[in-house]
Amino acid sequence: MADGFGNGSTGPPTPERMLQEALEQMRSRIPSGIAGIAALLFALVAWMATGVYQVNPSEIGVVMRFGRVTATTPPGLHWHLPWPIETVLKPPVTRVLKAELGFRTLDPGPPARYRPVTEESRMLTRDGNIIELDFVVQYRIDDPVAYLFNILDPNETLRHTAESAMREVIGHSTIDAALTEGRMEIQTAAHELLQQTLDTYDSGLKITTVKLQDVVPPGPVQDAFKDVINAEQDLQRMINEAEGFANDILPKARGMAAQMINEAEGYAEARLKESEGETQRFTLLRDEYAKAQEVTRKRLYLETLEAILPDIEKYVVEGGSGTGALPILQLKQPTPTQSEQPGATP
Amino acid sequence: MNRAVTIATAFVVAAIATYNLACFQVGEWQQGVVLQFGKPIKTIIEPGLNFKMPFIQNVVYFEKRLLEYDASARELITIDKQQLLVDNYSRWRIVDPLKFYQTVLTIEGAQSRLDDIIYSNLREAIGRVTLRDVVSGDRVDLMSQVTGNSNDRASAYGVQVVDVRIKRADLPEKNEQNVFSRMRTERERQAKKFRAEGEEEARKIRSTSEKARRILLAEAKRTAEITRGEADAKAAAIYAQAYERDPEFYAFVRTLEAYRRTLGQKTTIVLDPSAEFFELLQSSR
Repeated sequence: MADGFGNGSTGPPTPERMLQEALEQMRSRIPSGIAGIAALLFALVAWMATGVYQVNPSEIGVVMRFGRVTATTPPGLHWHLPWPIETVLKPPVTRVLKAELGFRTLDPGPPARYRPVTEESRMLTRDGNIIELDFVVQYRIDDPVAYLFNILDPNETLRHTAESAMREVIGHSTIDAALTEGRMEIQTAAHELLQQTLDTYDSGLKITTVKLQDVVPPGPVQDAFKDVINAEQDLQRMINEAEGFANDILPKARGMAAQMINEAEGYAEARLKESEGETQRFTLLRDEYAKAQEVTRKRLYLETLEAILPDIEKYVVEGGSGTGALPILQLKQPTPTQSEQPGATP
Repeated sequence: MNRAVTIATAFVVAAIATYNLACFQVGEWQQGVVLQFGKPIKTIIEPGLNFKMPFIQNVVYFEKRLLEYDASARELITIDKQQLLVDNYSRWRIVDPLKFYQTVLTIEGAQSRLDDIIYSNLREAIGRVTLRDVVSGDRVDLMSQVTGNSNDRASAYGVQVVDVRIKRADLPEKNEQNVFSRMRTERERQAKKFRAEGEEEARKIRSTSEKARRILLAEAKRTAEITRGEADAKAAAIYAQAYERDPEFYAFVRTLEAYRRTLGQKTTIVLDPSAEFFELLQSSR
């Protein structure tokens, strides 16, 4: 088409011509009329819709405008100005995160299986010994903005800081304290040191627990350590046995002692009563005798002979005293005590 | 209508083009250096929207966050000639991106410089203390020295060393074996001591109880004997007192009793007919 400047369609392209042609091209490509407007509106809405986002219950939304943090949003459905004006990051703030040091869980199980990581678990103690120690750190995101923008890879940083903190604490403990009664103290000290260090980096992380898992002497010396415990038990056992022995013989001895004394006291009592009884009997008899001496004497004498003669083997043989040789008697049966003597004369 | 659509579309296209060519964002975790024809002219540390000239200016981004460098473990020697395998890490950040760009340019480049700086400071610091100090001494003090010195030198690269910490300080393997055998011997000695103590204590308890037993029984015996003896004495006194009133009669009665007791079935006796017992047999009066 011809224009007022006398340029025909065959002339070299001018800037005005180029712009016009571009517009023409655009116009030809763009659907015209209602469809065009509809398409534009649709594009606009779609663009706006990119700003819709959802924050899950365990997350928090961090909104940035042109890269600068402007707001945090709680869980729910929200809208921000579409990209590239605003973007959102959603770190998980309620989840408790876990770092394992000295081991890795291969399979949570049951049964749980672990893989030891000796470079992490082997540490030097204050008294120049070596110990192997597994522990777990639980933590969560306390300040999401700090967490997102202060440290590159905060989780890895936490792991390394934890390892370093624990080593420092163990470096101040003896091996015996770490193996037995010092565990609580160690956990507390490591927890404090770790949190302190992370705070100097402004990590936005908060440690919830530091918990020791297995704390053992290194493999090559475990038997020797176990034997110490066995020896302690042996010591106790030996003492218990000895005390048992003591608890056995002493009561028995006391019993015997009591018995001895009781027997003696019994004897004493009996002896006393006997003597009292006998003497009383004699005294009574004597009092009677005093009243009729001759008669009583005779009576007692005869009563006695009466009692003893029946059972005795008796020989009545003539012959007074002083005849010399006694006649040889043929005695009927041998007796243990053969007494050949003159008869008793009053 | 068509014109409106066309103009709107053109506007959108222009906006997008302008944004891409003339605007740039710096995020909270970033800092940037604006180059013009490859020459740095401006650094931007604060996040937000910024502007540049299209085509002739471009932006190079750098990390603003704290970075960690984990050096590999190396053997260092303490003042008491002990070897230690030290694994340290350092935390650092880019504080002057322009200087950084001009000197080391990349994080790798920076880390290799830092490695040299920190290693030499660490070697020097460890060389001035004993092994004991490193393991259980005031690590904070030691490492803050290293941090401070390293930071001074690192600032030439636009970098700040925030801290240097020992992640691990272990003995080299051959020393470990020595430690193990020492640990073993120590425990064996302790076990032996416990067992010996146990034996000693047990022996003490046993012998103490035996002694107590012996004393107990001896005392009881003594008491018993005394009791018996006293009883015998008392009885003797009672007898004597009673019999002494009439010794002759006592002798008589007691002898009769003796006859009763001793002359029994097994006895044989020879009697003379002239004994008084028989007097009535001889002649009846």
